[in-house]
Amino acid sequence: MGRRYGVGGPWVLRGVDLALPPRCLVRVEGTNGSGKSTLLRLLAGIDSPTEGRVTGRPVRRAYVPERFSVALPFTAAGYLTHLGRIHGLRGAEAAARAAEWLERFGAAGHARTALSELSKGTSQKVAVAQALLAEPELLVLDEAWTGLDSAARTQLDLAVAERVAAGGTVVFVDHDPRRLAGASDAVHTVAGNALVRGTPETSPAEQGPRVRVLAVGPPGAAPPDGLPGAPSYEPGPEAGTVRLSVAAAHSDALLRALLAARPPWHIREVRAPAPAERNATSTTSTTITTSTISTTGRATS
Amino acid sequence: MTALFRYHAAMLLRSQRWLPPVLLYGIFLAVGVQGGGPVLDSLGVAAAALLPVTAWLVRICTTQEPDAARAVTAAASGMPRAHLAALLAAAACAGALGVVGTAVVTAVSDPKSADGLVDVAPLPAGTAGLLAALVCLLVGATVGALCSRPLLRGRGWSLALTALLALLALVTTGSPAKAAVSGLVTGSRTGAIHTPGLSLAAAALLAAVAAGAVCVLGVRRG
Repeated sequence: MGRRYGVGGPWVLRGVDLALPPRCLVRVEGTNGSGKSTLLRLLAGIDSPTEGRVTGRPVRRAYVPERFSVALPFTAAGYLTHLGRIHGLRGAEAAARAAEWLERFGAAGHARTALSELSKGTSQKVAVAQALLAEPELLVLDEAWTGLDSAARTQLDLAVAERVAAGGTVVFVDHDPRRLAGASDAVHTVAGNALVRGTPETSPAEQGPRVRVLAVGPPGAAPPDGLPGAPSYEPGPEAGTVRLSVAAAHSDALLRALLAARPPWHIREVRAPAPAERNATSTTSTTITTSTISTTGRATS
Repeated sequence: MTALFRYHAAMLLRSQRWLPPVLLYGIFLAVGVQGGGPVLDSLGVAAAALLPVTAWLVRICTTQEPDAARAVTAAASGMPRAHLAALLAAAACAGALGVVGTAVVTAVSDPKSADGLVDVAPLPAGTAGLLAALVCLLVGATVGALCSRPLLRGRGWSLALTALLALLALVTTGSPAKAAVSGLVTGSRTGAIHTPGLSLAAAALLAAVAAGAVCVLGVRRG
């Protein structure tokens, strides 16, 4: 597909051909003004291509812009409830999820504040919350981390991994090259007006922090297929144990998947990312309920 | 669609942007309608006043959402639906205004023809006035939709063109709004009530085509 603004304008993107499978985390790179944002807007359905087309977008889609300081006459919670309804939730559920996500991003205290009075960072949290409360099958993040505090950035990393683990497709742009490093399934670079396909860097330095999980499965069984974050694994120190290593962002999703597997896996130990001196934390498994979300979404252009 | 409509309607009502057009409508009625005047003349004025007011309301609804918020709603629901919801919210607000205005005008006017010789039944007259108001609403919404984004983005051009087209829609022969209003006013001379059926059909068609065009274009031009 291609996109240009105005009848005789230069092509911002041309000949772009991109398939986005479900359960996939895609990073888009490129210099400023290269057309990254245009590509994301086309994928999200905000803009439409001048030539070619985008097909097979899933029904539940969400987009987070880079800056979301908007003067709308709503409170943060009121806006999120409206957006939840637009995303297809019922009113009460939309309000409940709005409260939940605001709390998760540490903005629960601003639920009753008017959007126009929110700080830049808190507005961004609202923008991120509106996208996540809908559990979208296609999530498009245009430098959504900008302006968030570090706790909220971590939460967003985890939420992205959750979306992918639940079968969603997440496409993101971020100026920080370490953002979700090692967790991305594909990296595409916008150069000139074309899209260059790439594979994520796999050198250890570029892999980003990794979490090691020591788990015990049914005797002789290998870890189930399709675990979140495609962890690497090796036999553990004792018979019957397996040591899995996964990008830090995917660790929660991996634990949830292991505990919810049939038959379930027992988690013996979870080791935080390097520096390795940090104390390892042991967890005992308790019941964690997971909701399975099936997607058939596939966006092609 | 209901959720989108509620969102846009809430945005319009909570930001006091609805106030100026509503005041304009009130001023039109206060100046153009005299208590005890012939009912059909007064209803003609009330209907005509609704046209520029609707165009203004549509302009407000299509421009009030900041770009970042617009991108968010467009991703969630698709640009055409998001734009259509904004148009519907404006039309609903104008509709409520038209119903109240028509009812008040019918109540305070004299149920007689212009020369005071022929009685005019208030209920049929009010109904015809309501239909004429609906015609003006649809034409006004068409004007408003065509003169704001996504077709016209510049604020100056857009405002000037909205005002000009709203005026032309009221005075140009062939415009459904002009036909509906003059049907009421000429009927007032003899006390005959003209129901603007044909004008209504034409205005509905016009509005549907315009809405379809701008909603589809909306996704092309962001």
